[in-house]
Amino acid sequence: MRRALVWMVGLIALAGVASAQTFVWPQKWTVAKPSEVKRGGTLRAAVISDYRTFNPFVTAEAGNVPDTISPYGLVRRDPTTGDWIPYMAESFSISPNKLEITFKIRRGMKWSDGRPITADDWIMTWRIHTDKAVGSNSYDSFFIDGKPITLRKIDDYTLRFTYPRPDATAFAVAEFTPWPAHIFGPVYQKEGAEGIKKMWTLNEKPENIVSAGPWLVESYRPGERLVLKRNPAFGEWNKDEAGNPLPYLDRYEIKIVKDTNAQLAEFLAGNIDLMAPSTVDHISQIRQAIQQGRLDATIKVNASPVASSQFMVFNWNKASDPFKQSLFRSEKFRRAMSHIVNRQAVVEIVYGGLGTPMYSSVYPVLTQWVNPKVPKYEYNPQQAAKLLAELGFTRKDREGYLVDSKGRRLEFNLATNAGNVQREQIAKLIVDEAKKVGVKVNFTAIDFNTLVGQLLSSGPDRPFDAIIIGLSGGDLDWPFGSNVVPCKGNLHMWNKSGQCLDPRETQLEALYSRGRTELDFKKRQEIGYRMQEIEAELLPVIYIAGPNYHPAWNNRLGGEHPDAIISAIWGQRELELTFIKK
Amino acid sequence: MTAYILRRILYLIPTFFGATFLAFLIIQLAPGDYLTQLELDPKVTPETIARLRVQFGLDRPIYEQYLLWMDNLLHLNLGYSFAFQAPVLEVIWPRVVNSMVIVIPSTLLLYLVAIPVGVYGAVRQYSLGDRLLSFLAYIGLSVPSFFLALIAIYVLLQIKFRTGTLIFPVSGMTSSGFEQMPPLRQILDIAWHAVVPVLVATANDIAGLSRLMRGQMLEVLGQDYIRTARAKGLAERVVLYKHAFRNAVIPFVATLGGLLPSLISGAGFVEVVMAWPGITPFFLDAIANQDLYVIAGFLTVSLVLLMVGNLISDLLLAWVDPRIRYE
Repeated sequence: MRRALVWMVGLIALAGVASAQTFVWPQKWTVAKPSEVKRGGTLRAAVISDYRTFNPFVTAEAGNVPDTISPYGLVRRDPTTGDWIPYMAESFSISPNKLEITFKIRRGMKWSDGRPITADDWIMTWRIHTDKAVGSNSYDSFFIDGKPITLRKIDDYTLRFTYPRPDATAFAVAEFTPWPAHIFGPVYQKEGAEGIKKMWTLNEKPENIVSAGPWLVESYRPGERLVLKRNPAFGEWNKDEAGNPLPYLDRYEIKIVKDTNAQLAEFLAGNIDLMAPSTVDHISQIRQAIQQGRLDATIKVNASPVASSQFMVFNWNKASDPFKQSLFRSEKFRRAMSHIVNRQAVVEIVYGGLGTPMYSSVYPVLTQWVNPKVPKYEYNPQQAAKLLAELGFTRKDREGYLVDSKGRRLEFNLATNAGNVQREQIAKLIVDEAKKVGVKVNFTAIDFNTLVGQLLSSGPDRPFDAIIIGLSGGDLDWPFGSNVVPCKGNLHMWNKSGQCLDPRETQLEALYSRGRTELDFKKRQEIGYRMQEIEAELLPVIYIAGPNYHPAWNNRLGGEHPDAIISAIWGQRELELTFIKK
Repeated sequence: MTAYILRRILYLIPTFFGATFLAFLIIQLAPGDYLTQLELDPKVTPETIARLRVQFGLDRPIYEQYLLWMDNLLHLNLGYSFAFQAPVLEVIWPRVVNSMVIVIPSTLLLYLVAIPVGVYGAVRQYSLGDRLLSFLAYIGLSVPSFFLALIAIYVLLQIKFRTGTLIFPVSGMTSSGFEQMPPLRQILDIAWHAVVPVLVATANDIAGLSRLMRGQMLEVLGQDYIRTARAKGLAERVVLYKHAFRNAVIPFVATLGGLLPSLISGAGFVEVVMAWPGITPFFLDAIANQDLYVIAGFLTVSLVLLMVGNLISDLLLAWVDPRIRYE
């Protein structure tokens, strides 16, 4: 009996070596049981903007083709915990000084053209991304404070990443997708960056696009539709817990529909399976269609806040107007302005009740990072008036606006980008509330590029008073922006004098660096909490509110995430675990 | 005549340079450039943006950029799209072809419907039919095409909800599984998708053109020679079509040249609303992104077609109108 067992174990081990080392997709990532899963069928989705290239080294927009056909790297995140887990790597180890991570690459993985995936592919991909002449969008991710992160091949299945200093986002770097060295390598050696840029344009024959991920390009019609088909090589090492190869679907069709109304129409007509409506009107139309039995679909309203921010920022560098400059640099003034922002009204009026108020730079959806005890200067006009009185604005002029003892009126200009209806509405709410306490706000909507130009201008005298704008793209490892927090940062929008003006800016900058090099999550979280407290005190930026995420899908689909992990961060499902029920 | 044509072609050269430079200048006068959008991305460093700006040549003075572009243009190269990292012609040509699927049938439909409707309205002025057609024309003129497209989508959806079938698609140019269809099915599929956009795109223009035709025809019918023709006892058919119509249609011949650029300039917002992969949504994107050479390249092609089209209309005009002679 025991001997048989030993034999069995031996055989299984041998089988493991002979075939691919598989990655088993955990059951807890989906609500579907392996027994109810069906194979085959086509998933139909829609995107707003057209695809621009198949080339992974020049692609820039979100949701591009290379990221869609092959979204993974050595590691990936477990959506149930947020932890990094080995994926194309079979395991990893961190050196004691935390400057090196060594990855053991899974054996037996193949490119869709049958060639093995090895360390060379990562090395070549990294070389091309970090070639300045290529202009890759991933270029910056391979540097920390301007110092390069390097990769070294130990053997065909071992890679070592070396970091210039310990870094909280180390694994995010290792997440980059490898591309085939046997295809890009020879061109790169012969023609360099120019050769790379000419490869895999939209005119490339689909059969020449090689992938390591779940999908292959089947066909692409510009402006119309991208059709992807299952990559069988992927299923050799990606299995569900019952051992079935993934993905279950035969095809994944993505329609390009530039107008959100047309997208909604397609969803209501049952022609597309996935939708994330963003307006109250669209949500209610979907709900109505479901209730009246015209559409068999599911919608999760308010699944989570989205990972973006909307805020008002005051310009601290106005040498030409010392009165305004000292006002904008005054923490009392900014606090008063926070008190006049009626976040609840913004959520109700601008987002139709489907939004979330914001009080710190950490997006509310990053729940692990949000400090629940962060001070909030909520809507409170009396408090605002009191603070302004403390600044010397006690009298009102004939028009009802506050003036100080020298008769200077409390007035500033507020701008946002024209065409962004939600921001314009927010601005109008602020104008109204400000008027109630006696502050004159002159609102104008201007061209986006002009606005960005003003916001990012630097020096002692910048050409704006206050701007409403937003940022997006949160990081789960360290949610503070590398060019937002440091005083010399390009997006240190309130103060672009090039130096810290407030001791708390210096403090934030120091905490930012400390947090980024802290690898212990708990300790890093504490630093993050502290930073949010300082931010809330300093109020360099007045956060307002953001919309929520409302995923919807046609009920012919199965395999969505359990409710607990459906969010703007993790989405509604893993496509690999999605199947067609009927 | 040959001398006239040659002279016209010579005039085109300075016009071409002047117009392209003006277009280039106006595009460049807009604040910011293709990379401005990237500047608000917290993950991209300013050094990277500066490097890309040098790479795209956006750091050079405008006249230098224009001269470089002109040099390319003279080698029949419209330039390079920043967004697609591909030659402009390569990315715009498929869109232009898609647009033509709507523009050509809708132009034919326009003339086939608008001219008879206009003539009918003029001949039967103030009849019930004329009043009805005028009423419809005013509605057609007042409803913008994008709104008409939205109404069409709404109606199609309501029919689908009531009957369970989509009589025409709500958007797009082809159905799922298009690539697997045999060629004949593919043509039928595109035609099926094109019906609603063609109708919507034509609706406005029919209204306008038929009113114009009606006005022209009425004016001609009031002329002395028509009275003379009738007095001579000519058949009404001959009076209308041989004498009146031929003269009434002259101003339309003058506009035929304008059709040439409109062939490539797309069907307008109908394409955006109904997700038709034509040139309009593409061009709007290029403008929003400030994809410089796509905008400039496309404008140049339109400009050349407009110039050629004008020449053709002048020649056509000379051909149909015996009063005009070019020496």
